[in-house]
Amino acid sequence: MTVHNLYIFSRNCTLLYYAEWNRLNKSGMTKEEEAKLMYGMLFSIKSFINKISPLDPKDGFLHYKTSKYTLNYLETPSGLKFVLNTDNSAQNVRGLLQQLYSQIYVEYVIKNPLCQLNEPIQSELFKNKLDELVKSSPYF
Amino acid sequence: MKQQNVDTKTNLPDTGEADECLFEYLHAEMVNYVLSSKTNGKEGEEELSPLEWMGFGVGYRIMERLTREWARFKDELDTIKFICMDLWSSLYRKQIDNLRTNHQGVYVLHDNAFRLLTNIGAPDSTQYLREAPRLLAFTCGLLRGSLANLGIVSTVTAEIATLPSCKFHVQVQRV
Amino acid sequence: MSRTGARLDAKKVNSELFTLTYGALVTQLLKDYENVEDVNKQLERMGYNMGIRLIEDFLARTGSGRCYDFRDTAEKIQSGFKIFLGITPTITNWSPAGDAFSLCFETNPLTEFVELPDHCLNLKYCNILTGVLRGACEMVQMEVASWFLQDQLKNDSVTEIRVKFVKRLEDAIPAGED
Repeated sequence: MTVHNLYIFSRNCTLLYYAEWNRLNKSGMTKEEEAKLMYGMLFSIKSFINKISPLDPKDGFLHYKTSKYTLNYLETPSGLKFVLNTDNSAQNVRGLLQQLYSQIYVEYVIKNPLCQLNEPIQSELFKNKLDELVKSSPYF
Repeated sequence: MKQQNVDTKTNLPDTGEADECLFEYLHAEMVNYVLSSKTNGKEGEEELSPLEWMGFGVGYRIMERLTREWARFKDELDTIKFICMDLWSSLYRKQIDNLRTNHQGVYVLHDNAFRLLTNIGAPDSTQYLREAPRLLAFTCGLLRGSLANLGIVSTVTAEIATLPSCKFHVQVQRV
Repeated sequence: MSRTGARLDAKKVNSELFTLTYGALVTQLLKDYENVEDVNKQLERMGYNMGIRLIEDFLARTGSGRCYDFRDTAEKIQSGFKIFLGITPTITNWSPAGDAFSLCFETNPLTEFVELPDHCLNLKYCNILTGVLRGACEMVQMEVASWFLQDQLKNDSVTEIRVKFVKRLEDAIPAGED
């Protein structure tokens, strides 16, 4: 099983953090362009689902799947957006995303007074802890 | 998400006590405030003395409240030990890891993972080392204030080599 | 080291650390600003900065979702008081339109050892709370205004904070979309 890569966006469309572990295929774009594309797609798919869903779209957009990989999505009520690409066999990635938010983002960004919110995350401690968490997950 | 967490929490009776994270968020804001005030506009050394002063007042009053319930201390070392063990573990979740003294009024309190630094610096990195002293000024004052309340006049400085550990140097002034 | 006598209650000492630190901050601000109104404003600003971080802490701990309506918001604010200050304010005095309510409480760790001196009667000692509410709500796409209607430090029987819904904030739209 595999975790491919991760994007974290702020509520104001800023790419706060990007990390990759097993990414075989590059997009051929700059990181900024790629982030913009990703954010735009998320924005569209969310509004698409809200408009078109035949049932109550309460939970909104959670993931999409291709024949090769799954894009897992968690948006907090505060508008932070976590995007994790995994292979299709990974289970309960949402749990991992929630851990990532509450045990890594809150602990090492929110509780680090030297980290400005809404700016790309520079903290090396954050980076290390995130890497540890992802690598210790059963589907890494 | 884990909804059950909040349910058990709201069922508990009101304690009227602030959650421990509030001190951390408040402290962070005080640091921002002091750094952004007018006197800190210029280049060079950060002017941290207001933080030290606020810490002094807090340390003085905390000690006043605590020592009401405690017997007098035998001597200076006994007082310092109380600070390293009892006071530190209530304020900062753990005891001071190592206490050294030259028995002539110099004490070095070594905390391997100081509460206000644990979410900041990775041990194998030099990131944030330059900014870290601003997170210790309040506690230097707090130490000085708690000692002052017990009649011990001192100066306290902090030293950081690798995060999240730090050392507080207490120099007692002999009269 | 063995000592006779009770061990310190870490939760209580920690809460007092917060209370006393807040007191030291207010004292420092009164020294720094000539005008008490400016102190109130500064406390509100600092509260705002705390609020935008506290909301994430709150969301991470409770796992709550977005609010359905303003009544839901009121209840979430109430549980925030419970989690962070260990008190449960009562939610009362809803406006007929349902866009404003009051939070009333009697004790509060911020004011535990406080008595306002006479020259500080215009000081809104707990004004940091209004800033926290503004910051926290803004992060969940809601603009609110809040202010003190009653204050125990000024001999009212309870402390009452009025919270009013101003508007819903829209999600940021990425460049090039509409």
